[in-house]
Amino acid sequence: MAGKPLWRQAFDTVDRRVSGPVEAGARSDAFSDAVALSWRLGRRARREVERRTRHALHLANLPTATDVRRLSEQVSALQREIRELQDRSS
Amino acid sequence: MSPSLAPGDVAQRVERDVQRALRRGRNGLRYAAGTSRPKVGQTPKDVVWRRHKAELWRYRNDDVRHKPPVLIVHSLVSRSYVLDLYPGNSAVAFLLRSGFDVFLLDWGVADEADANNTLETYADDGIPAAVAAACEAAGTDEVTLLGYCFGGVLSLLSCARHPDMAVRNLVLMATPVDFTGMQAITGLVRDGRLDPEDIVEPTGNVPPEVVENAFRLLKPTSEISQYATLWENLWNDEYIEGYQAMGQWTRDHVPFPGAAFRQTVEQLVRRNALMDGSLELGGEPVDLQAIRCPVLNVVAERDHIVPLPAAEPVPRLVGSSEAEELRLAAGHVGLVAGRAAAKVTLPGIADWIADHSEPA
Repeated sequence: MAGKPLWRQAFDTVDRRVSGPVEAGARSDAFSDAVALSWRLGRRARREVERRTRHALHLANLPTATDVRRLSEQVSALQREIRELQDRSS
Repeated sequence: MSPSLAPGDVAQRVERDVQRALRRGRNGLRYAAGTSRPKVGQTPKDVVWRRHKAELWRYRNDDVRHKPPVLIVHSLVSRSYVLDLYPGNSAVAFLLRSGFDVFLLDWGVADEADANNTLETYADDGIPAAVAAACEAAGTDEVTLLGYCFGGVLSLLSCARHPDMAVRNLVLMATPVDFTGMQAITGLVRDGRLDPEDIVEPTGNVPPEVVENAFRLLKPTSEISQYATLWENLWNDEYIEGYQAMGQWTRDHVPFPGAAFRQTVEQLVRRNALMDGSLELGGEPVDLQAIRCPVLNVVAERDHIVPLPAAEPVPRLVGSSEAEELRLAAGHVGLVAGRAAAKVTLPGIADWIADHSEPA
């Protein structure tokens, strides 16, 4: 501690006082409930935005993220089948 | 009252402070501009085996003094270069200098094609095939298998399900088996606040940001204190190199394959199935008592990701007559990187492996 500058000593003092309660708070049931709730709400909001923009983009005959995702899923399924064939033949 | 300084000392101190201020300014600009990115994973190596995204690397070593070779199995959620961070701070380089033939199994970066990868994909296919490939490349009959973090879990499962696998010794580092001891990181899924399906994204995998944020929540204020330490040491080129390399690694997680994540949550986290022996893979029970080779369980006293209670039970669970614990005063990453790793952790592990090896 002796070699540390004054600002660092002051910072460490504050950090020691703050970090314990903050960590305890982050591990509390109330915080976990809040994180889970915000996670679910965020997911629901994203789905809703996606649904509405999909409708608008499809009206203009434009592809959406959902379309790209479906294509990507199909490519991945093909990749997996190729892997299985490779594994069987090796 | 502080003792008065001689004029020569004052001049020296002023000169030192000016030099540090100049270096601080230079390093600060470089850091802010991102122009001096650390070069990680620099130890020369060759790819000796490959399956889908997994690669087995063999590090070049002209001075192999022990056999069998050491095969390191890395985790599924982070990059393996933490084991070979940069010259002067590399667990791999330490093991090479200690005379081992070192292999590393890197799982690559999972994408949608890997979303169906289960724990069996790694424990039944990946690891046994990599062990065979390492034996073939090194011209030996066995390996010492070294699993780090979740790589340790996969190694444990693989050895239990394949007791005939060519593994002479099993070393597990910061390997969680009692998931009740990991309440802080598993709390959201353990108690059903979130289900795996809430977390898995449309690619079928757990996005890396989720893993990163889960680790960040374990010590929410640590990032601020790290910035304070950075400011304090901004003049020190060596410190900056280490800080940047480690900072890059902590922000560089990879997607967790969805199917393996579901199994992890349902069986390992919610049922704590490694502890009560109820774990099933491929429709069969996993019997850790089937592991008979010498086992070294390396646990870190200051590990906030895999706390001691989560990692300690390994020796009681395996069937080996020689199952030891090496308890070290380090953190999770400090086991493999940093000054403590080079001085304490790695020498202890290398000594144990050497004692359980023979001259090459």
